[in-house]
Amino acid sequence: MTTITVGASHERLQAFADLFDGRAARAQRVGVTIDELPTSGVLVLALPEGGAQRWPLEALRSLPDQADRNSLILARVGDPVARLMVEDPELIRILRARAPFLHRRPPVKGKARLLAWACAAVASVALIVFVLVPVMADQLAEYLPPEGEKALGDATLEQIRSALSDNAYLPMAYCNTRAGVAALDRMTERLAGDLDLPYPINLHVLDSDLINAFALPGGHVVLFRGLIDAAETPEEVAAVYAHELGHVANRDPTRSALRSAGSIGVIGLLLGDFAGGTVVLFLTERLIDANYSQAAEAGADAFAHDLLIRHRIRPDALATMFQRLKDKYGDSEGITAHFAAHPRLGDRIEAARLAAGRLTDPPEPLLTEAEWQAMQRICG
Amino acid sequence: MQPGAPPWGAPAPVSPLASVGPLPGTGLPDADLATRFAGRRGPLFWLALKTSALTVLTLGLYRFWMKTRIRRYYWSSIRPGGVPLEYVGEPLEKLLGFLIAVVLLAFYIGIVNLVLMFASFALFHGNTYAYVISFIGVIPLLFFAQYRARRYVLARTRWRGIRFGVDNAAWGYAVRALWWWFLSILSLGILLPRKTFALEKFRTDRTWYGSERLHQGGNPWMLMNSCKHFWIGAVLAAAGFAGAFGMPDPVGMLSFSALAALGAGWMVFGLAYWQVDSFRRLTSAKSLGGVRLAANPRPWRILRHYVIGYGLTVLAIGLLAMPFLVIAVLLNAGSANFFGLLPGTEATKLPNWVLGAAGVLAYFLVFIFWGVFRQVFVGLPNLRHYAETLTVEQPLALTAVAQRARDEFAEAEGFADALDLGAAI
Repeated sequence: MTTITVGASHERLQAFADLFDGRAARAQRVGVTIDELPTSGVLVLALPEGGAQRWPLEALRSLPDQADRNSLILARVGDPVARLMVEDPELIRILRARAPFLHRRPPVKGKARLLAWACAAVASVALIVFVLVPVMADQLAEYLPPEGEKALGDATLEQIRSALSDNAYLPMAYCNTRAGVAALDRMTERLAGDLDLPYPINLHVLDSDLINAFALPGGHVVLFRGLIDAAETPEEVAAVYAHELGHVANRDPTRSALRSAGSIGVIGLLLGDFAGGTVVLFLTERLIDANYSQAAEAGADAFAHDLLIRHRIRPDALATMFQRLKDKYGDSEGITAHFAAHPRLGDRIEAARLAAGRLTDPPEPLLTEAEWQAMQRICG
Repeated sequence: MQPGAPPWGAPAPVSPLASVGPLPGTGLPDADLATRFAGRRGPLFWLALKTSALTVLTLGLYRFWMKTRIRRYYWSSIRPGGVPLEYVGEPLEKLLGFLIAVVLLAFYIGIVNLVLMFASFALFHGNTYAYVISFIGVIPLLFFAQYRARRYVLARTRWRGIRFGVDNAAWGYAVRALWWWFLSILSLGILLPRKTFALEKFRTDRTWYGSERLHQGGNPWMLMNSCKHFWIGAVLAAAGFAGAFGMPDPVGMLSFSALAALGAGWMVFGLAYWQVDSFRRLTSAKSLGGVRLAANPRPWRILRHYVIGYGLTVLAIGLLAMPFLVIAVLLNAGSANFFGLLPGTEATKLPNWVLGAAGVLAYFLVFIFWGVFRQVFVGLPNLRHYAETLTVEQPLALTAVAQRARDEFAEAEGFADALDLGAAI
């Protein structure tokens, strides 16, 4: 073991350093010695104009993250401004070996204050995202004129088509073979023909494998091809469609869109741009947009059951499809549809089967076999 | 011998640059102070890589530490007269400032955005107006935040043990910035150099080094000259485009297109020239009591750093992305025809979540390395050049400078951070 001993009894340390005392913008060339005390050493800085400063070795701290590795800049505990700039390699070596707490960081000040503001920040964001924005969105949705709702839906639909597309410059195309669209129109006419809505229903099919469907403000309903593929009868598609029509009639998508307009910015504010703004916004959109409330889902289900019964379609077609998907893929895998991932899927299957009991007239087929095949080939 | 006096005689000169001896007690030579630069690519690379990886892993929380540590590195690189600048900002005060800004801004961003979005769709049936109004509403706040962030950074900067400081005039700055930007836009950019001077003078004249106030001198119109290359390029490009469309024969069209290309290239040089020359003129007209600054950066050098630096950045990112691209191509081709005959392609079929995870990983790697390489290849060389061409003249006047009180500044740069202005170090 090498012991470095410096002081009166050993080889004399002869070094200079620059002292910045933090009172004026001057540097003082000081001579440096170490005064050996029984317990520890003290750095003695001899000032050029006479007098000396004593910096105990255990009070020395080095500045972190410095670019120049050939010099050492020291601070002293208890003095926030004084600095000692050491460039003598021998002195640096000795100080690194003997100053015990060179790399210790100052204790954290104002922990309670930090904690208080952290709580305030969380509380205000929670208040805004979970209370203020939803309440205001629900109120404002009532006053949004149909044209505004339509415009909101158009804008959102374009965003979703762009987000789903593989091509950055081309939004995902609609599926629109003629016979397929005719079959869709027939389904819309039968189910939505007599609905009292301020805007016409726009039903689109997008060419994606996702087993999903969603509604947007202003009467847009979107089915993915994956859903039509997964259905065995047109009535199963109709049951999903009726559920989305329920959301349209209850203006759930409008509320949801207004909510995310208010919430996205706030959450983006919290996360900053740690990974580029777009990703943050995308993630937060997923986060906020995840689900309608249980009440909204139940409302859409009830609307769908009534609508289907009125048009002599079995409302438990949905239950049949869910059950089949569940048997085929298991509960979690494969079914990416938000309605299928619903935690109370079992209850909803049950409710649909119960509603089927209310169907007194014999069911009437929705589409002819040819029309159904055309709908299945709508994406060409 | 006096007690406490060094036993080995007179003190040695303070600075290796000092060919003239120092005046006793000041440690300052009677010659101009050149600036040395100690930053190096290697250490900065590892520091930036480590801190940005931690920032991503902590969902952005570590960014306060990242900024602090990188600033410490950059500040300590710049050594006028051999003495480095010191950055004493703390990460936790940045976190506190950010939290304060969140409390104040969350309301504005949440409720105002919602109401604007509603009004825009209800009245104009589109969201463009909402974005425009919301952006216009936030502009004064951006200037305010910019000034406050500069105040914070300078209040935490020291040189020779003395604090810098900035007067509290953020709203006054926001008003003037709005006015000058308004005039600049109205004049189609012609008054932009005048705006730059006015705002720089406002900021500089409110900046202190210890007890001494900085002064921005110079003619308010002197920056008009810094724009000349940009305008020459713009005129050439415009003439070239107009001519190319007007010419019926291919030869004439080609020569006018060449003129347009020349103009475009000249404009790019003009931008670098503007950045460098406006900095040179502004800095050389700054003074602190009797101390004067002299800057002498060269436009071609900075332009070269941009071109080569970004070239290297893109190249490095490309090399890093190569394995991901190869895997993606192999996987895509697995079912199809291209590599279908290769043995083992079947084995490369991975579940979707693995592909998704690889995609996310690739995105974050590109994001991290883009920022890191940009600092290493562009930021550092540029800063080095600006630092090494900076001289402090008549430094003896620094002896008149005394310490100033600490600027306790709870909100730090929270607003700038929350509004994403803080991306630049």
